[in-house]
Amino acid sequence: MTSFFSRLPLMRRFRRVAALAVMLGAPIGAHGTTHAEQIPSFVHDGTLTVCTNPTLPPMTFVKGQDVSHPEGFDIDVAQALATRWQARLSVITMDFTGLFPSLSAQRCGLVMSGIIRTPAREKSFDAVSYQDTALVVVGRKGTPSLSSMDELSGKDVAVESGTSYVTRLGVVNDALVAAGKPPMIIQQYPTEEQVVQQVLIGRVFAFVSQDVELFYRMRQLRDKLHVLITPDIPDYRHFAIYIRQNAEDRTLLQNAISALDADGSLQTLRTKWSVTDQSTKNGPDEAAASGMFDWSAFFSALTSTAFLHGALITLSVALISHIIAITISVPIAIVLNSPQQSVLKIALEGYVSLFRAAPTLLQLLFIWNAVPQFFPIFREQWFTPFLATILALSINESAYQVEINRAALSAVDPGQELGASALGLSRRDIYWRVIFPQAFRIALPPTINEFINLLKITSLASVISLQELLAVTQIQVARTFAFTEYYAAALIYYLVMVFFFLFLQKRVERRFSWSDRKKVVSNAA
Amino acid sequence: MQHETTNPPMISVRGMSKLFGKFVALDRVDFDVSRGEKIVVLGPSGSGKSTLIRTLNQIEPHDSGMLTIDGKLINDKTDPIQLRCMVGMVFQNYNLFPHLSALENCILAPMRVKRMTRLEATTLARRYLDLVGIPDQADKYPIQLSGGQQQRVAIARALCMQPEVMLFDEPTAALDPEAIVGVVGIMDELSEQGITTVCVTHEMAFSRRIADRIIFMDQGKIVEITPPETFFTSPKTDRAQNFLNQMLRY
Ligand SMILES: Nc1ncnc2c1ncn2[C@@H]1O[C@H](COP(=O)(O)OP(=O)(O)OP(=O)(O)O)[C@@H](O)[C@H]1O
Ligand SMILES: [Mg+2]
Repeated sequence: MTSFFSRLPLMRRFRRVAALAVMLGAPIGAHGTTHAEQIPSFVHDGTLTVCTNPTLPPMTFVKGQDVSHPEGFDIDVAQALATRWQARLSVITMDFTGLFPSLSAQRCGLVMSGIIRTPAREKSFDAVSYQDTALVVVGRKGTPSLSSMDELSGKDVAVESGTSYVTRLGVVNDALVAAGKPPMIIQQYPTEEQVVQQVLIGRVFAFVSQDVELFYRMRQLRDKLHVLITPDIPDYRHFAIYIRQNAEDRTLLQNAISALDADGSLQTLRTKWSVTDQSTKNGPDEAAASGMFDWSAFFSALTSTAFLHGALITLSVALISHIIAITISVPIAIVLNSPQQSVLKIALEGYVSLFRAAPTLLQLLFIWNAVPQFFPIFREQWFTPFLATILALSINESAYQVEINRAALSAVDPGQELGASALGLSRRDIYWRVIFPQAFRIALPPTINEFINLLKITSLASVISLQELLAVTQIQVARTFAFTEYYAAALIYYLVMVFFFLFLQKRVERRFSWSDRKKVVSNAA
Repeated sequence: MQHETTNPPMISVRGMSKLFGKFVALDRVDFDVSRGEKIVVLGPSGSGKSTLIRTLNQIEPHDSGMLTIDGKLINDKTDPIQLRCMVGMVFQNYNLFPHLSALENCILAPMRVKRMTRLEATTLARRYLDLVGIPDQADKYPIQLSGGQQQRVAIARALCMQPEVMLFDEPTAALDPEAIVGVVGIMDELSEQGITTVCVTHEMAFSRRIADRIIFMDQGKIVEITPPETFFTSPKTDRAQNFLNQMLRY
């Protein structure tokens, strides 16, 4: 997992989840029996905060419709730890690539997300193993098993980006090239279910994953997959909990895990989540996605509260950001349109150029991951992904909106201002009664375009764990594998929102009949 | 001249200059306009006629010299809104507000600036739309009106502020001959009402008919101020003579 900082896959899904309060009567380690234990320093104010990427069943995933409640082996282990330390558990969900930056930025005390223990990661963080595992290469049913990794030479292999498999396959490829053979062609996908899907639809020969995840997928996809080879790679044998480097905390965490192992708690959870036993006789959790379009899955997605909630977040983020952007951009446009040079004008020109040039995604990541390192106040609970997204998108969008407003304002005949001031109207009235109504008509169509763009751009905010529509869709797909049905449902939501605003635009434009002689005549008739 | 009284002049200009960067658009001009007097400003293109009348309502503030309107000194500390309530202006391109109907164009300033109620403003506006001869066009948008009708609305709009001085900047220059006749007719009517008027125009016959005095400008300077009979028959300067010769060639 050395590749983890160097690769930032674009559309990773991060999820933020409201604190999962520990209910009274925690399932494991009853309060009465645990004697006072020393609490690690990453437990703050009686809260243990865990960062996870819930797309990795059975370790961490969203089982039901409620995307704000990830479940799985990791979550239960985290809960057991919290209970031991008499703390409340708070789970923050996010994209895989965001986990370690969040740990560094002190957004969470520990990271648990089915992550392999590797020496590379231990250079920056402390790790405590809690589960054995093995790397597996998986193909479609009917593909003959392999006797060595070399047989993958020249074949397409899918892996989840940001994971350590990418680096590991690089090592295999180096060996292949050294032996004069063609290397594997490695395709990276942002989520685990997309990786599996590439094998199911036959785009790649095999995918690389962890055995525990595979056990889960096997139950879900029944007989569609087949383990081709389980190579013995010493570095890839354990899942670990990661914390910021602190010898004392590491010892306390190690002791807690050992205790959970000793009292059988871990074993109970392993059985509950079928982490170790491949031949579970439990029936499949979910019917696997079939080749046909499943209308009932589609309609249940369409009417689910998860989708509705995601759509509302998308809509409100876009609306609020755009309203703020317009409010900021109008005075900026007026200053920039004025003929006089000034320091303010130069500064505003810099602002506009900077935020038009910087990629929106970069701005989101910057505000979420970099800014808190300099201003600790942005680490606090109140600074939610919702606020962070609105902050980033308002600033970003205001830069574009300034250009629209400038064009619209300069398209208004300067004689209008002259005529209005000759009548004695105040500056305020000149703008609000004379110039803005005319500029508004010119600015409306490009502004609606921008808004529609913004509505779609909010999907980028899933990288900072905002639960918007596309993030919700991906979490649901990870659970059900119903790609087509869930993508279609998301599309419907986007279409409905966009068409509504286009309709609104048409309605408003009808009020501009004064600008069109023909329309005005037919209206009068 | 019949308007010479002991009253202070309505407009008094002394050594007034206006610069655009280094370009001298008005070069130390001096003149008075008595109450009720009608002045026509003539001069070649670019001579500073528009600039001159725009300084009178301060939509172009002057840079130096002295300007008094109705005895009040006008400088950068004057409230321009009060001044513009007193001095109305009509432009060559009408500058009507396209998003407002003719009536709404007329009532906007009375309501916003003079704080009239909509009813008061509407009553007033209908009276002036009637005066300019288009009472039936009140609800039309500017785009639905002919040029002549638009200029009539612009005149009514300025009159609705009930100014004591009216400034006209080539009000007929954008109109076809027929429309010119109508607008000039209205201005004749206004001149009978005794409102102080400063008008830039190329309508020679109109100037001759209504002007008490002609101001002739060239290159930012006032070259001569004479009654129209003198100006049109025997101008004092060669420049005015040349200008008249050019005008007659049209
Ligand atoms: N805002 C301005 N900035 C710079 N120069 C200007 C500005 N307004 C006018 N001028 C210049 O001042 C001079 C006088 O202009 P003005 O509009 O007063 O002329 P005019 O006599 O009204 O001409 P016309 O008969 O063509 O309307 C012109 O040379 C013009 O280019
Ligand atoms: Mg002019």
